[in-house]
Amino acid sequence: MDLSQLLLLSLLIPLLGALAIAVSGGASPHLARGIALITSLATLAAAGWVTCGGSHVTGDVAVTTYNWLGANSSVDVKFSVGLDGLSLWMYGLSALLSVTAILVSWTAIKERQPGFYALLLILETGMLGVFSARDLLLFYIFFEFTLIPLFFLIGIWGSEERKYAAVKFFLFTLAGSLLTFVALLAIVLHAASVAPVDFNTARMTFDIKELAERLVRDPLPLNWQFWIFLGLFAGFAIKVPLFPLHTWLPLAHVQAPTAGSVILAGILLKIGTYGFVRFSLPMLPDATVACMPWVLGLSVAGIIYGALVALAQSDIKRLIAYSSVSHLGFCMLGIFALNKTALTGGLLQMINHGLSTGGLFAVVGMIYERYHTRQIDQLGGLARRLPWLTFMMLLFTFSSIGLPGLNGFVGEFLVLTGIFQRGWVGPSWMQSSLMWIAILSVTGVVLGAWYMLYLVQRVFYGPLYEPAGDHGHGNHAHGQADHGHAAQGLAAHGHDAHGGDHGHDAHGHHAEPPLPPGPTDMNCREFFALAPLVVFMFWIGLKPQDFTKRLDESWKYAAPAAAALDKATPPVTVPAKIAAGTKPQTHSVLKQGAE
Amino acid sequence: MTSLETIQLLLPELILVLAGTLIYLSGAFFPKQTQPTLLALLSLGLVFITLSTQDGQLMRDGAFIDGTYSGPLAIDLFGHTARWFILLAGLLLVMLTRRAGDDPHRSEYTGSLLMLLAGLMICARANDLVLLFAGLELVSIPTYVLLYIGRRGAQAQEATTKYFYLSILSSGLLLYGFSFIYGATGSTSLTLIGSKMLASTKPDSATNLTSLAGLGMLLVVAGLGFRLAAVPFHFYAPDVYQGTSQANAGLLSTMPKVAGLLVLIRIVAVNLPGIEDLSWKVLLAISLVTMTLGNILALWQNNVRRLFAYSSIAHGGYLLIGVAVGVYQQQLDHGPNMALAGGEPGVSGLGSALFYVAVYTFATIGVFGILAGLGTEDRPLERVDELNGLSRKHLLPALAMAVFLFSLAGIPPLAGFWGKFNLLLGAVQASGVMNAGTTNGWFLALAIVTVLNAAIAAAYYLRIIAAMFFREPTGKLAINTNPGPKVAWGLCVLLVIGGGLAAGPMMNPSQAAGENILGALSPISQKAAKEEAERAVATIPAPTVNATTLAAQESDVESCN
Repeated sequence: MDLSQLLLLSLLIPLLGALAIAVSGGASPHLARGIALITSLATLAAAGWVTCGGSHVTGDVAVTTYNWLGANSSVDVKFSVGLDGLSLWMYGLSALLSVTAILVSWTAIKERQPGFYALLLILETGMLGVFSARDLLLFYIFFEFTLIPLFFLIGIWGSEERKYAAVKFFLFTLAGSLLTFVALLAIVLHAASVAPVDFNTARMTFDIKELAERLVRDPLPLNWQFWIFLGLFAGFAIKVPLFPLHTWLPLAHVQAPTAGSVILAGILLKIGTYGFVRFSLPMLPDATVACMPWVLGLSVAGIIYGALVALAQSDIKRLIAYSSVSHLGFCMLGIFALNKTALTGGLLQMINHGLSTGGLFAVVGMIYERYHTRQIDQLGGLARRLPWLTFMMLLFTFSSIGLPGLNGFVGEFLVLTGIFQRGWVGPSWMQSSLMWIAILSVTGVVLGAWYMLYLVQRVFYGPLYEPAGDHGHGNHAHGQADHGHAAQGLAAHGHDAHGGDHGHDAHGHHAEPPLPPGPTDMNCREFFALAPLVVFMFWIGLKPQDFTKRLDESWKYAAPAAAALDKATPPVTVPAKIAAGTKPQTHSVLKQGAE
Repeated sequence: MTSLETIQLLLPELILVLAGTLIYLSGAFFPKQTQPTLLALLSLGLVFITLSTQDGQLMRDGAFIDGTYSGPLAIDLFGHTARWFILLAGLLLVMLTRRAGDDPHRSEYTGSLLMLLAGLMICARANDLVLLFAGLELVSIPTYVLLYIGRRGAQAQEATTKYFYLSILSSGLLLYGFSFIYGATGSTSLTLIGSKMLASTKPDSATNLTSLAGLGMLLVVAGLGFRLAAVPFHFYAPDVYQGTSQANAGLLSTMPKVAGLLVLIRIVAVNLPGIEDLSWKVLLAISLVTMTLGNILALWQNNVRRLFAYSSIAHGGYLLIGVAVGVYQQQLDHGPNMALAGGEPGVSGLGSALFYVAVYTFATIGVFGILAGLGTEDRPLERVDELNGLSRKHLLPALAMAVFLFSLAGIPPLAGFWGKFNLLLGAVQASGVMNAGTTNGWFLALAIVTVLNAAIAAAYYLRIIAAMFFREPTGKLAINTNPGPKVAWGLCVLLVIGGGLAAGPMMNPSQAAGENILGALSPISQKAAKEEAERAVATIPAPTVNATTLAAQESDVESCN
């Protein structure tokens, strides 16, 4: 079986799993999660094989193309999937985080399990599809399709404000992506008009590669480029989310079930940054250059604003949600710096953020499952009670704040290096403004370390402090509360043998040190949900070349825009000399830092 | 064309009328034994057989290309494709409106439905003002009967009366408009009207028909606006839908729209060249206002049928996008007929409208099929909050409802997405991104307003979905045991999902139909050109140039410049 068939299989397996869950229906609620786990593991096997196979070669891998609408249609929409350097890792990460999402939901989801797991699997197909689509319309279809399962996941299994959060999430994203749709259609139509027309065979192509080639060869006039860029920006910037379009994100994150948050932060936000690299940069180079200062400015504003707001949060999940706004700003900086190093860093940061923030949300979910609260001031000194969980939390925190040796450092370092490089070769105004952007974004790194470490200190260290025995009914859905009562009865009879599985039911009889009876530490399932993320965090941190090798190829998408920028601002003599001298040097610094 | 050929060409319509009459008669004499639904399905089966043999024969003869048989009936791909769609919609409606066995009026009801379908099929192909009007009335008059016997009570009476008077008024407006068009061109044949109009646009033409035909066009749009429920002729819809049964509301929100769209395309979009500049502006303005007003007003509705009335008004606005784009394409003469116009590959606005009305119809009939299955004949479901927690008790209908609503909202990968895709592609194409010289900001604005509207519409569709899935059940929901609506929505689920995953089989024929009706390639203008040439040869023996095609070519050159 070759890679392209495996790729198709990885798109198909989750759907088959969802179908199997639907067919088995209400037979047993635990059957659904079993099927879901097996399905997602099978998908991970297929997708992992494709990703490994794709990581050793260059160019497009696992390409399959079918004609979708029939040969006599005037619009040549294809079912065309495949991976390149840009999409390879995000595709693999989607399959990995789906397994994590299912494992962290294992006991947290207590009602209507079949629906929950079926929707998660459908969402998995959507995510894998977004990153593997090579046809513009297919990309858009997967892009919008991911909204439906997440809408239900938030709306049915979320916290108390779930209805409002689900609807706001859906409408906000839909409004933006519909404007994106119009812009994408304009791109397609322009590309069709510049093609060498053969009347008998002329059909409107939607192939992304072909479109990019045509738009580089025959660029749109600048005013059209500008409007189309704004249209694409509406959808992608909301998805990222770029400040000030981020208001839907904290709400959706806080209200979503843990699995929803993991997927949302880990994968779905990156569809926005991915869209910029895939469409805006290569297809609208002049508009990209024209809007670059604005986008960079908004990114820095988002980095600092997100960090400051995170600092002020009292809810752990909301804090991490705002940290996402801050971190995604780094991705955007890297992408819009129009520099090869920065772009690689920005793309690597997409993966890093998926690993670290996905892990953080999973840990918060585990804490919530034990204590039914996410309020920082209701928790304290959990390291004593939950040493392994604390260890994991620390690792994800270090990754998130960019500690050398872990993945976050590499990404942030590359982004900042790239921005400085871009500054050297530009004219003096650009040099100074990019310098400021870099300095300001470093503030974000410092603030990031502050709010994350402050969070860890308050929640995990100091004297043990746990919420009182009563589970705080307001914090979770009715069905879960009922279930909690039933299980509490069991625990009182001493049947609480499964540790974390029932752990949250038994706490609350605490009184004084040494250690009152309470929730137990991580169990095997929870460990295996997080362990793969940790492995990859170290791998990227210690040997980033394995990953950046393929990411570097994506430079070809930004190259037209970078060329346009260089054309617009001819390099001044002195910085050019400096640049010639510094470039290799920075690279060696970078390698040292990375290793 | 011999009368035998005419009868052959009208065979499907005749079968429907005869079957309707048979059901009326047998229902009157043997009310207990008659099985109207079964008879209706049989007649639809017969129509299926005749349609396939007829279209196969016409295809082999090449009649869709040279227009051999076109006369008072337009034998083109557009009309024949529309007939296939009407047959499918008829099947769904027969199931949706199936009445319980003890209903004394069930024969009259089903018989009238078949008459309505026959009227729609005539509208699809009529190429003469008189025949068109007869077709429209064959749609309207059975509708009055359906409304009247659909549901009893004062509210239903009010709804029927309101619909009746306004429908008569709109027919009057339409006839008034026809009289202006007749006055301007001196013919009721649309082919002749078209060629007269085209001739009058030539620079050396002595006559100027623009004002007279323009006035006629405005009145025709007004008369058809009632059927499309387009603003400002929409205000009857919410009251009438609320006052009638679920099945009737499903029928009213789809079939009059189909009739209105087909006639609008046949008259305004195709056969009134010379005033396209006015036509597309009027249609575009109505489209903008209709979809915006419909969607915004729908946000505040609590009665389900009222909500879907406003939603159907908004969808009427979307349909007009396709027609406006089609008219503009004809004005540029540059649209889909790339072989002649030397343009780019493109999408046909009229074909997009035809496709959109199909996917809209499937989703809407599905919605009302589900609503008809909930609640009883005496106490139908009224408020949106009665749907609360539907997924807890009846998962399948709730899931199907979500599918229909997502399709209406245009979310991929459902059929409604492809509908919006085609319409938007047409609008963006008309805005001139392809030939950056002739930018038309109106169509760009139309595309942007359309997508903003789609987001607004998603808000109230999501409200219903949220009620079904996110809320706890309140109160008891009566369940209707009538299997008809269930079959209807089951088929609709297949059509909406299947039409989304494999859009080609529905999209490509509509596009071909839209391309076939417009421009110099259409069979009717082919035939007219041929006749013109023959006449020219008969009167002047000297070698001569074909006048009509010359005019057409000249206008090509002009509009391209």
